[in-house]
Amino acid sequence: MIRREPPAFFHRGPSPLARLTFFTLAATALMIADHRFHALATVRLSLSVLAHPVQQVATMPGEVLGRVGEYFTSQERLLRENQELKAKVLEQSAAAQEAHLLKAEQAHLLSMTAGKSRYVENGTIAEVLYNARNPFTRKIVVDKGLTHSIAPGMPVIDGTGVVGQVTNVGTFSSEVTLVTEKDQSVPVMLVRNGLRAVAVGSGKDGSIDIPFMPVSADVQNGDMFVTSGIDGTYPPGLVVAEVTSVQKNAAYVFAKISAKPAAGVDNHRYVMVLPLAAATVPRPDTKVEEQPRKSARDRARARRQ
Amino acid sequence: MRAADLTPLARDVMKLPASMGLVFFSLVGAFLLAILPWSGTWLLARPDFVVLVLIFWSVQEPRSIGQGVAFALGLLMDVSDSMLLGQHAFAYVIAIFGTQVLRVRILSFGLAEQTLHVLGITVLTSASMLLLNLLLGADFPGAAYFISPVVTALLWGPVNWLLYMPAVRRRRGESGS
Repeated sequence: MIRREPPAFFHRGPSPLARLTFFTLAATALMIADHRFHALATVRLSLSVLAHPVQQVATMPGEVLGRVGEYFTSQERLLRENQELKAKVLEQSAAAQEAHLLKAEQAHLLSMTAGKSRYVENGTIAEVLYNARNPFTRKIVVDKGLTHSIAPGMPVIDGTGVVGQVTNVGTFSSEVTLVTEKDQSVPVMLVRNGLRAVAVGSGKDGSIDIPFMPVSADVQNGDMFVTSGIDGTYPPGLVVAEVTSVQKNAAYVFAKISAKPAAGVDNHRYVMVLPLAAATVPRPDTKVEEQPRKSARDRARARRQ
Repeated sequence: MRAADLTPLARDVMKLPASMGLVFFSLVGAFLLAILPWSGTWLLARPDFVVLVLIFWSVQEPRSIGQGVAFALGLLMDVSDSMLLGQHAFAYVIAIFGTQVLRVRILSFGLAEQTLHVLGITVLTSASMLLLNLLLGADFPGAAYFISPVVTALLWGPVNWLLYMPAVRRRRGESGS
């Protein structure tokens, strides 16, 4: 008979099956802790610091290739790009001047009442390092982290619209969940008629759903959705998506509306991370907690009186 | 002395151990390949270099590379792939357990049959990870997801050759001197 196990005097610790049980239980515990309680942010942070230098080495060849490619771009293309940009600047300069005026006006009005500006002052420019290598989610990793005072929840935009939201912050880099990620929602408003809705990522590239809109809602193809700003996270007026299809079926309560994200969600090199807007109105949850809770005895006394 | 000690199946007991430096740097190299900026369909088809090298060393060096190392590397992969912490660890531990069970069989076969064994292990690894994510509410990422375990298994031959070379050279050098 062939002995498959080594002789007993080579002590090898627990059997493979015992190890398997131990490690799978440990992994399951970790997954539950991470998924349910989000308790492992510090573990993730410290491990990401460990992986950071290796990560930099790995992104280097791509970066070098990109730089070399940039160096050899044709003059024609650069000229064309330059012209396009100049045209864009002209287009936007009128709007920008108007915005200056509006901002000054708003500041004046706000100085009379005790309010805060709805508009963000400045953001942090970040470079996109790579798409997160996770086939199940849509995230990108940018090169600004805790050292640049990035915080979870910050909105991220590019030149044309909302890209997503910072969801995980490392020391030197952070993860941005794209607006197309499944269940990633942004409160939005229809520019044409001020209709409010919530844009929810569909989990597919280049597509956002607008669920829970009644069949009678006035939404058309080509309508523009911008952030409504009612959540206190996204500043109002950022372009989120353009409606691409509206299916109204009387058999259903809600219309099926799909939209295309305005930002080049899958192809950008630089993005801007906006600071979190300070909430002007306290959230309902906190207000409830602030109230002193009546004890059972108090309530009984109130009833008797 | 027992008869079992002389059977061909125990021949690896007499083999020179691979240097720990080679084991370490091959694992680092696999990790580096894994964290290249893959995206899109390439990401779905990305072979799992880390699990392949782990399988190789747990076949060749079962005393030093086992489920503990697989667990630790899995955690590192989870962090760098921004996945739920513990997913890769779970899948890698299962893969190495499978390897430990099949180890003696794998060693007694030729390269083609070995590749088939490795294919079984990698499919099991990918399937367990897919199942976990589907349980957690993710969408099925597409049939291209199953390219990865196949490519990983096909790389068994090259990896075998690549990691054997230094060990063989070392043995020749020592026997020659």
